[in-house]
Amino acid sequence: MSGTLSEKSVLVIGAGGLGGPALLALAAAGVGRLVVYDDDAVETSNLNRQPLFGEAELGRRKAEAAEERIRRLHPRVRVEGVDRRFDAGCAAEAVRSADVVVDGSDNFATKFLASDAAVAGRRPLVHGGVLRYTAQLLTVMPGQTGCLRCLFEEPPPPGSVPSCAQAGILGALAGFAGALLAAEALRLLAGERGAYAGRLVVFEARPGRTRIVPLRIRPGCPACEGRLALGAPAAGGSA
Amino acid sequence: MALTEAEVARYARQLILPGLGEEGQERLRSARVRVVGGSPATAPALLYLAAAGVGTIFVEDPDPVAAGDGAGFMFGAADLGRSRAVAAAEAVRAASGLVQADVQRPGARATGVLVCGGSQEVSRAVAEEARLLSLPHVVAELDGQGGAVTAVPVGAPCYACAVRPGLGADPTPAGAATVGALAALELVLLLAGAAQEPRARRLEVFRGTPLTRATSRQPGCPCATPPPSP
Amino acid sequence: MSALSTPEPDAVSPAARIDIRDLVCPLTWVRTRIALGRIRPGEVLEVLLAEGEPLENVPATAEAEGHRALRLERAVAEGAGVFRLWLERGASREEGEWP
Repeated sequence: MSGTLSEKSVLVIGAGGLGGPALLALAAAGVGRLVVYDDDAVETSNLNRQPLFGEAELGRRKAEAAEERIRRLHPRVRVEGVDRRFDAGCAAEAVRSADVVVDGSDNFATKFLASDAAVAGRRPLVHGGVLRYTAQLLTVMPGQTGCLRCLFEEPPPPGSVPSCAQAGILGALAGFAGALLAAEALRLLAGERGAYAGRLVVFEARPGRTRIVPLRIRPGCPACEGRLALGAPAAGGSA
Repeated sequence: MALTEAEVARYARQLILPGLGEEGQERLRSARVRVVGGSPATAPALLYLAAAGVGTIFVEDPDPVAAGDGAGFMFGAADLGRSRAVAAAEAVRAASGLVQADVQRPGARATGVLVCGGSQEVSRAVAEEARLLSLPHVVAELDGQGGAVTAVPVGAPCYACAVRPGLGADPTPAGAATVGALAALELVLLLAGAAQEPRARRLEVFRGTPLTRATSRQPGCPCATPPPSP
Repeated sequence: MSALSTPEPDAVSPAARIDIRDLVCPLTWVRTRIALGRIRPGEVLEVLLAEGEPLENVPATAEAEGHRALRLERAVAEGAGVFRLWLERGASREEGEWP
């Protein structure tokens, strides 16, 4: 990738526990344009982990509050908060107009869609996920390294993975992971090979242990073989 | 004291974690953390300590706010030139009404310390003070896109035993955010009683990958002798 | 939902009771979890809950976290759509050490 950081655009999916710190770090680093998708409102239970929002933002739309907070702290960054669900209707275009995609979403349907859209749109994707005390990071370089469907042949069936509401999450761990997503996106924007390209990095916070799982393109992966329409079932239900 | 409704609502998503629970959350609330600032990791670290529910935070930082100080998390144009400790405490209070945050006062008693010193000398000195007071402490060091975080529970090998030279690269905002959040995480785990062995450890983040080592005492280090009880 | 054991004799009297009918996720599970934390392993918590999300999530989450759903029945006297659940607190989860 060529050009300076101020000419670059990053799409961030989710303005919450992962997306929030990622956006702040990307803005501080000097990325020219940030686009963030979030269709939620700020709730009290978000405040244990979402640094874009304080008590004054309770009840406000996250996309709008995120835009305002980032603009206030980083007036030179062009930031656009999009108050809608990142879904099959908008994914392709959103991905196409970015140089790198950062996935800070909190559900598997969106994560699969992000991965599919990145592969189809030939844009690098930095995927992050946090659940309980575990954080995982993966970079998808379309055509070169494995995507989320290479990792999970089938998306997990609904109910098999606890939602964050049931399983819990610590703010500082989400912050750690979100900042790592930003650092990885910055490496990619600088034309470097990503640290998580072809490597799923899994960090378990309590013992401080890191595992690395190599990930190649899986023969037969429908996304990598271009056989997938966006919005293909993720959790067996709506994307 | 049991958690209030406001606290339950706020910390709902973390107090259901194994090893935390209502008890762990109450421990965080009764914790009094002295945060020694100086590096850009301080701002994210402060916000994540507050988000976790640390009850009292004292900010110690001699410098005025300069551009880039907050690693993106704190300090707008209007804060430039203000006392960084004052501005940071204010930002923490705005982030959470459940946390008492203030500039460090003489005689203020802490139960834990987070060190984000601007230099090795400062960090070593503060870590040693914490050790002599038998306080758990965590030290954050920045190094380019990453850095290192050292967790020192009470009685553990000290920071001086654990520290190793890095590349000495200038800090970056993403690196400061990474290390600041990680440092807050390590201290929160210790204070809540949720850390698992090895609790005394150093995590080095290099090229986006955290690598953890249990710390061990250097032969002859004074930390082998427990400090006199306070 | 996981299979529940056949109804236990009514001899077991709950150590605590909570009413989460008016609560919304995530507080449904959060309040249940707090209440379980306040009783001893082996003791029973009685939960009054509404159908829908609470009924779908609370018993299953409790079992997933090592507690036992002893019995679930319609709380007919409380009105339509209300259930009564008995949870037995599981063995203590390991806690970390103090700093």
